[in-house]
Amino acid sequence: MRTIIYGHFTDDSDLLGAVKILQEKGIHIADVRTPFPVHGLDAVLKLRRSHLPKVAFIAGVIGAVLMFSFQYWVFTEGWPLIFGGKPYSSILSFIPGTFEITVLFAAFAMGIAFLVRSNLGPGSIPDILDEEVTNDHFQIILSAKDNTLSETELAEALEATGALDVKQVNTKK
Amino acid sequence: MEKQNIPEPVPFKFGKILKTYLGIAAGIGLLVLLIAIFVQQLPSARIWANLWMNALMFLFLGLGALFFWTVNTLGESTWQINFQRVMESMGITIPFAAIFFVLAFPGLKDIFEWTHTGNLDRVLQEKTPYLNMPFWMVRFAVYFILWSFFAWYLRKISVKNDFEPHEKYLGRLRATSGWFIVFFAISSSTAAWDWLMSIDAHWFSTLCGWYIFSGMFVAAIAVIILITIAFKKFNILPNVNKEHLHDLGKYLFGFSIFWAYLWLSQYLLIWYSNIPEETVYYVERVNNYKTLFYMNLIVNFVVPFFALMTRGSKRQPLYLAIVSLVVLLGHYLDLYLAIMPGAVGREAASIGLLEIGLPFFYLAVFLTLFFISFEKAKPVPENHPYAIESSSYENI
Amino acid sequence: MQVSQVREPLINGEKSYENITADVMAPVRAKPGKLWFFGFGISALVMLGGFAAIAYTIWFGIGTWGVNRTIGWGWGITNFVWWVGIGHAGTFISAILLLFRQKWRTSINRAAEAMTIFAVMCAGLFPLIHMGRLPLGFFILPYPNTRELWVNFNSPLLWDVFAITAYLLVSLLFWYMGLIPDLGTIRDRMKTLWKKKVYNFLSFGWKGSARHWHRHESMSLVLAGLAAPLVLSVHTIVSFDFATSVIPGWHTTIFPPYFVSGAVFSGFAMVLTLMIVTRRALNLQEYITVGHVESMNKVIIATGSIVGIAYITELFMAWYSGVEYERYAFINRAMGPYAWAYWIMMTCNVISPQLLWIKKLRRNLTFTFILSIFINIGMWFERFVIVVTSLHRDYLPSSWSMYKPTWVEVAIFMGTFGLFFTLFFLFIRVFPVIALAEVKSVAKSSARKFIRKSSKNQKPEKE
Repeated sequence: MRTIIYGHFTDDSDLLGAVKILQEKGIHIADVRTPFPVHGLDAVLKLRRSHLPKVAFIAGVIGAVLMFSFQYWVFTEGWPLIFGGKPYSSILSFIPGTFEITVLFAAFAMGIAFLVRSNLGPGSIPDILDEEVTNDHFQIILSAKDNTLSETELAEALEATGALDVKQVNTKK
Repeated sequence: MEKQNIPEPVPFKFGKILKTYLGIAAGIGLLVLLIAIFVQQLPSARIWANLWMNALMFLFLGLGALFFWTVNTLGESTWQINFQRVMESMGITIPFAAIFFVLAFPGLKDIFEWTHTGNLDRVLQEKTPYLNMPFWMVRFAVYFILWSFFAWYLRKISVKNDFEPHEKYLGRLRATSGWFIVFFAISSSTAAWDWLMSIDAHWFSTLCGWYIFSGMFVAAIAVIILITIAFKKFNILPNVNKEHLHDLGKYLFGFSIFWAYLWLSQYLLIWYSNIPEETVYYVERVNNYKTLFYMNLIVNFVVPFFALMTRGSKRQPLYLAIVSLVVLLGHYLDLYLAIMPGAVGREAASIGLLEIGLPFFYLAVFLTLFFISFEKAKPVPENHPYAIESSSYENI
Repeated sequence: MQVSQVREPLINGEKSYENITADVMAPVRAKPGKLWFFGFGISALVMLGGFAAIAYTIWFGIGTWGVNRTIGWGWGITNFVWWVGIGHAGTFISAILLLFRQKWRTSINRAAEAMTIFAVMCAGLFPLIHMGRLPLGFFILPYPNTRELWVNFNSPLLWDVFAITAYLLVSLLFWYMGLIPDLGTIRDRMKTLWKKKVYNFLSFGWKGSARHWHRHESMSLVLAGLAAPLVLSVHTIVSFDFATSVIPGWHTTIFPPYFVSGAVFSGFAMVLTLMIVTRRALNLQEYITVGHVESMNKVIIATGSIVGIAYITELFMAWYSGVEYERYAFINRAMGPYAWAYWIMMTCNVISPQLLWIKKLRRNLTFTFILSIFINIGMWFERFVIVVTSLHRDYLPSSWSMYKPTWVEVAIFMGTFGLFFTLFFLFIRVFPVIALAEVKSVAKSSARKFIRKSSKNQKPEKE
């Protein structure tokens, strides 16, 4: 059982201002939800830079090595044939296939990593508090569990920043 | 956006210290040339080919910068405004490149075998309607007259807007950029055929023009980066921030990949079809210049690809400058491989004192002309309606 | 970022975020009208006709087509290259324009990416059916078998298999990842429970969390960085199908970048054809503005000019090379039995797009619509000229022959149009045609009049 306090804004600069004020007061913000990625929000929330690009790189390297060595093996060991007078290890010919598989691996590994890391997927049930977030509400969510202040104090602080419709809700988790 | 204190701009002065350094560099280059002629007594083909190669590199930097500026102008992009004047002044060096070409004219008979009109074989005989001196010279003149005109006129309008700002100047810059780009698209290819492809006159490749262009473009970007970073460091362009460097780094990264893509396209297709008329070009290079041939690919593709892949790498001035320098040298090597095998031949060609030292002279002249031009105008265009965009954008 | 006042707004009218959501979602919520049923019906019928022709081909064999010695590739491969080329615009808009920070792409990228996927599906049909024995089509995949055979990695036709597959899958991924937040929006606006559940399923439970957005943006950037070279590589590999040969007119090193430019050229023309109609039909004129059309026209004139220069280069080099076969190939194109196709191609591809240097024409929707159709006709003929003229007369005159398509080939081609439009009609009903979240993110800085709801007193303020 924990109490969630949340409110929303109708403009992204108001949101940024509010987040800064709350952080100055030392209040820990559980989540911020917006209809689109807000410029500057990542920096203000001090979100760590995503590791997804690294995932893409590693997967790409794996794909490249696998595909290249596979083609090489096929042409030197598996079924060596002479085509157009080319040598068995016709490296130039292997480049297009290697490139395509590299991109495929990198893209899909990153996509899957994104979904897994964010807990999104077919069948995910999200904890939506305000349905208008995906429309035009910029929402700040505070959790009483993460903060030393009481629920009322948190609600007051949130209202002081100019948030609209500040509500408290008890959730099961 | 990080609120930094942007220092006051330091007005640029082409002062004594700078002139001294450039004078020394020019001196080194000339000395090396004299040594090559009188002391080492290198074969004349090699000396002329070096003069030719340096003249081309000199031209490519200015021409590539002019192209980059005009493309951005025509596309109404604005991020480049804070360092636009660097490109403008690089473009102004184009007419002077013509002088270096003319100085190399006595060597044309050494570099181009189609000039020996007395004993042409059947293949070269067929090409004489295009590869003949008079027509070649006319083309040479047309390229330089028009390129120089565009470089001069665009610069004039850009500076005029500083003093009498008017919407019509922006329109004129856009329109003129359009004309230049059309002419450039055609002339960059035909000039590449005239000045590089015809060195190996028995060979041909429809991609040659675009391939040379891609190398020219990357080399120009590398020099733009180096100059911009230097100016930023000395507060001549304090409004150039990491975002600009990041974008320039992206261009260096992306177009190095594009260059490699064209390199591979040409090589793969000629290798695959294995037609002797075409393969002679690569057989010569892979057999007799093997190390340089593969080094070309490593320096111009592998290095920028891995070195500039991460976000951070493109935002650190010193690191970006080093990679740019490496890539610039790499494209010089690319030019070497395009010229030397055909013009000089295996026995005479090598990387020696001349190849390494002579560029200093051309570099000194290039920078001298650049600095003189840059000093004459404001470091950043004033009264430009899009200027605020250049100082206020962020990369993800 | 600050946008200069001089710039044309990307969104017209007086829009707030709420307006944007409502406007874009309207076709998804509303019941389809008579026009939609009519369009969908015709498309589906034509598609079924095409499928019937495909079934006929597979049952009776490739002999039902007009291909024969020496023209082994006719309409089938022309259509393949044409459709793949069209697909390139979507990825170009999504990936390359994203890398260049072109905000105007936000109104058109969703529909353009969908167009890419549908076009690649249409394209993919042709390599599959032109092989003849489709039930044995799995032979093209490298799998261990009892005959210890492997596929020929030396062949560009096989590189194509990997390229088209990778392209289809990565385009789908890119498109879908971008759709996820918008599907969340639709879910939250739907009142009917089963629809809500379906869209929740499709949106993967998206909730707009800042952390998720951060990852999403990072991923989109990397995907764009991957998709950009991918789109270049796909049509490059398609061009390799021709350029790796020794046939005059086919073997030429300029093919890779020339094909890619041509692909973007025809793709943008198709996007324009679709968008000019869609914006009117779905009332989205304020999002897909004349400015957007003009920007797309600028891409068209750039890529069209590159294609034109490539033609001139090929012509020159054919002469310069001194190779009589190469010279004849080009003389034959301009003056031989297929000269009519060549001149249609030249008029549509080289001459007509040059009219776009005139600003008034660039901003004229009717002219643009007509031109876009001409461009696609021209690009079809370009592939036809390349494929057929080089095959019908190459080195040995005694082998020269002629090619004519049969009704089966024509029906299959028409059928792919049916497939394409059927999928597109379905798409506009089920998914948001415009990238909602992306358009909202540029609204504040780039809308003509952005209506901002004040946080203090809840009265709308105009900016």
